[in-house]
Amino acid sequence: MKRHFIRIISGLAALFALLVTLGLGAAPAKAEATYQIATDSTFPPFEFANNKNKYVGIDIDLMHAIAKDQGFKVNMKPTSFNSAVQSVQSGQSDGVIAGMSITKEREATFDFSKPYFMSGVVMAAKPNGKITKLSQLRGKRVAVKTGTSGAQYAQSIHKKYGFRIVTFDESNDMYQDVLTGNSAACFEDSPVMKYAVRQGTKLKIYTKPTLNGPYGFGVKKGHNKKLLRMFNNGLADLKANGEYARITRRYLGAKGSSDTTSDRTFMGLIKQNKGALISGFKQTVWLTVVAIFFATLFGVIVGLLGVVPNKFFNGLSTTLIYIFRGLPLLVLALFIYTGIPSLTGQKIPAFIAGIITLMFNEGAYIAAFVKGGINAVDDGQMEAARSLGLPFGKAMRRVILPQGIRIMIPSFINQFIITLKDTSILSIIGIIELTQTGKIIIARNLEGFKVWTIVAIIYLIVITLLTWLSNWVQRRVRL
Amino acid sequence: MNEKIKVKVHNLIKTFGDNQVLKGINLEVHDNEVVVVIGPSGSGKSTFLRNLNRLEAPTSGSIVIDDMDIADPKANINKIRENIGMVFQHFNLFSNLSVSENIMLAPVELKKASKEKAAAQAKKLLAQVGLESKYNATVQSLSGGQQQRVAIARALAMNPDVMLFDEPTSALDPEMVGDVLAVMKQLAKQGMTMIVVTHEMGFAKEVADRVVFVEDGNIQEQGTPDEIFNHPKDPRLQSFLDKVLNV
Repeated sequence: MKRHFIRIISGLAALFALLVTLGLGAAPAKAEATYQIATDSTFPPFEFANNKNKYVGIDIDLMHAIAKDQGFKVNMKPTSFNSAVQSVQSGQSDGVIAGMSITKEREATFDFSKPYFMSGVVMAAKPNGKITKLSQLRGKRVAVKTGTSGAQYAQSIHKKYGFRIVTFDESNDMYQDVLTGNSAACFEDSPVMKYAVRQGTKLKIYTKPTLNGPYGFGVKKGHNKKLLRMFNNGLADLKANGEYARITRRYLGAKGSSDTTSDRTFMGLIKQNKGALISGFKQTVWLTVVAIFFATLFGVIVGLLGVVPNKFFNGLSTTLIYIFRGLPLLVLALFIYTGIPSLTGQKIPAFIAGIITLMFNEGAYIAAFVKGGINAVDDGQMEAARSLGLPFGKAMRRVILPQGIRIMIPSFINQFIITLKDTSILSIIGIIELTQTGKIIIARNLEGFKVWTIVAIIYLIVITLLTWLSNWVQRRVRL
Repeated sequence: MNEKIKVKVHNLIKTFGDNQVLKGINLEVHDNEVVVVIGPSGSGKSTFLRNLNRLEAPTSGSIVIDDMDIADPKANINKIRENIGMVFQHFNLFSNLSVSENIMLAPVELKKASKEKAAAQAKKLLAQVGLESKYNATVQSLSGGQQQRVAIARALAMNPDVMLFDEPTSALDPEMVGDVLAVMKQLAKQGMTMIVVTHEMGFAKEVADRVVFVEDGNIQEQGTPDEIFNHPKDPRLQSFLDKVLNV
């Protein structure tokens, strides 16, 4: 029996060691020569994926130009704005350039470069002219995007004008909320709003930009002083040699790099975004497969710990299931990706953080039904096996598990389907899987309805295939 | 029956929480002896039997089988159990295995036999219980009586010195009982040491060397079938026999 436990424990230890090596191995290797720069993935015209699925925008081009000018290397990491900001605070990234306004509040935790762009917040509403002034917002809802200067601006004036604030993670969702009439207006940085209107969003800008919008490149307060200095020097060089003007004109000039002329039918959208959708889909499948592997391993081990005749392991199993089944997946993902690194100072790549998240969460569910499946096998089976002289482990392996697994198979397949769907939540930590791909495409073309329809259908097709597979497997097992 | 003592139970006590189920049982079973344990429901008969191979751990006392104390927590219980066959009320055949696999599992897993030897032995044992045609059958396709006979064959496959039967016919339809009892009688005739908990008084009269009456966690009376059934002394035994024999 003792040896049995030791094997389980050493198995667990090996699993964690593997994950940690995967997690740590990827990070420090490049840190010497290349700076990790976090950015938003959906903030055109500052950063967005073009129709070749390549990240472009004022911030991206500027950062590359400055790096070239100053002779350093950058690795741009597009993620959501929030997670970009947090990844700098947790040390996952060295700097952030994401259309980020320099504010007093942010200066408490960031050191900013000299302003590289003067923006300002505008109010946009439906073009029917019902809402044209801030004073007409009394008693209405106003949409903003989390963590943006538009949100801060709304916060600063909402008492004065008497409106309620609703927050969104994505610009497109915010525009949609105004278009459907749920919100009366939205506040957005003026270049972003202009870009959206030019892309066909049926909103109109009614106010002049506020004057409080200098964008800055940020590093964690007290860190990366050299990087900040190089950024400032580079920016000065680019302004002097005309490169800066060329970059901003590329996106804000009369003939900006938009794709308003492209085909906006379903087929057209699929054709344009085929590459992005396929790579997002591949990422989703890869995440699912790897996550299922580790979650099954974790779940089976924890489930077995719940049925061995040992009070300590039973308690451990119950506790692990309680914690990881009790935590919302989203909270767990953010905790592992941004929470743990800010404590330990050790970076965790988003993919690894995502796998660890799914391993714990899905694994806890698997553990629960593994335990349940084994307990559902009649006690008499174990007694008969033990009465013949079979040790616990052999009785488990030859008699109980084969019967328990048969009971568990439907639950396993169900959990695999749930895992596939749950990978979409990992878009929050910036993994470019299918859902995040959808967000990115929408950020560029603002075709929310059509793109989400396409994404939903892709999910449904895969899940239908999985369900067929599961029915087939179950029929085979029944025999 | 010979004089060698095979099983020696001394002052066996078993409690579940506050409930003392066995209150100091003493019993000696000789080699080749067939002991039938009778008594009312809840008297502790089954618990007593389950202590003998430590499916329940004794609270105190000693159980010595072939010079090994089963009650000692340091005893290698798996090794000891190989020599004690057990047959359960609900058969407990392994439902994921076929009839022959049920019989071969323990001999092969515990390296007592090669696959070929175990298969030959399974065939022989199935013939002994009258089920040679069911070699490849699934457990689910058997009747209750057939399952119980396979269960007996499974227990015999480890060549045990002692066989424990825990109400082996209680879960069977009446017409199945005879076949199972016939197998048990044959086993007794071959000289197997057996301890049988049962309500089959006919079997006790015919096959038992000794009948033990258990009531209230203790042995109240024991003796030959003639002594127990024809000349019971203990009033509780008298009243028990009245109930079971006059139906």
